[in-house]
Amino acid sequence: MGKLTAKCIVAGDSSVGKSTLVQLFSSNGSHFLKNYSMTTGIDVVMKTVQIPDTGDSIELFLCDSPGKAVFSDMTEMQWDQPGCFCLVFDVTNEASFSSCTKWLQKVRSKTSSAQLPAVLVGNKTDLSDRRAVDKLEAQEWAVRHGLVYFETSAKDLENYELPFQSLAKSFYHMYQERVENFKSLV
Amino acid sequence: MTKAGDLCLSAAGARVILATSSDERHPAEHIMDGNPETFWTTTGMFPQEFIISLSGVFKINKITIHSSLVKNLRIETSISKEPVNFEPCTEKVLIFVYLLIYICFLLPQLSGIQAAHLRFVILSAYDHFVAVYSVSGDT
Repeated sequence: MGKLTAKCIVAGDSSVGKSTLVQLFSSNGSHFLKNYSMTTGIDVVMKTVQIPDTGDSIELFLCDSPGKAVFSDMTEMQWDQPGCFCLVFDVTNEASFSSCTKWLQKVRSKTSSAQLPAVLVGNKTDLSDRRAVDKLEAQEWAVRHGLVYFETSAKDLENYELPFQSLAKSFYHMYQERVENFKSLV
Repeated sequence: MTKAGDLCLSAAGARVILATSSDERHPAEHIMDGNPETFWTTTGMFPQEFIISLSGVFKINKITIHSSLVKNLRIETSISKEPVNFEPCTEKVLIFVYLLIYICFLLPQLSGIQAAHLRFVILSAYDHFVAVYSVSGDT
């Protein structure tokens, strides 16, 4: 049985629901943040994810980061050597989707590895009448940039665990691949 | 008298007493089992470290490490009975070598430094994971 550890950066514009998703996922859906409280530094939450059909698990250190630019200098220093990346936007907020390119560039610049498992999360799908970003458009953007796309509604407890499980799985596969490489070198 | 290069082998009485990553399929004991085909892997995040305790206090002139994808490496030594009071011995940036085991020779800043314990701190890497195949210390 092996235990991996991964630093998972959670980033995106402010008030798209990053902290809510992190809290929901780490509490198995029992803790929904009803009131908004701005994240000003990096909040680290550890959550263990089991890899199905193996005895292995991954400790995800979720680095919930502030979306407001005023805190970025301080927080982005702590993004060094990320293991995986969860990029969140709000499907009712076009600007938060447009910012994704910027967030992706910032986080990718912090890694010295060729691969960085990453997911794009369109949150707040419960507000369907106010939807401003088309699902297909978001999906295309994600594929073009090498991310897996998920839609979630933290409020309705929908799919909130899927993006993180996907990241854990990708990270695990990357480890297995790397170990095979290490074996082939001898 | 221990032969040169033997210091860090388990056959010479050395032991890995700490490693920050442990996949039981690739444990840190593989670093010093004398088998070039086995290795220790880190399992995510940096820094990572392992400590080797030698069978006594030895004078060390050269350390050789076989590894893959390690970038910044720092070695510290201690002559205490217990593995405490480590002093920096040498620090090096290893070059990136793709698909090859990188063999790196490190010379302590003070040649002929005495050590009972060697601490290897991997500060950063070229990937999410690294492998260390073997470490040897020459007197």
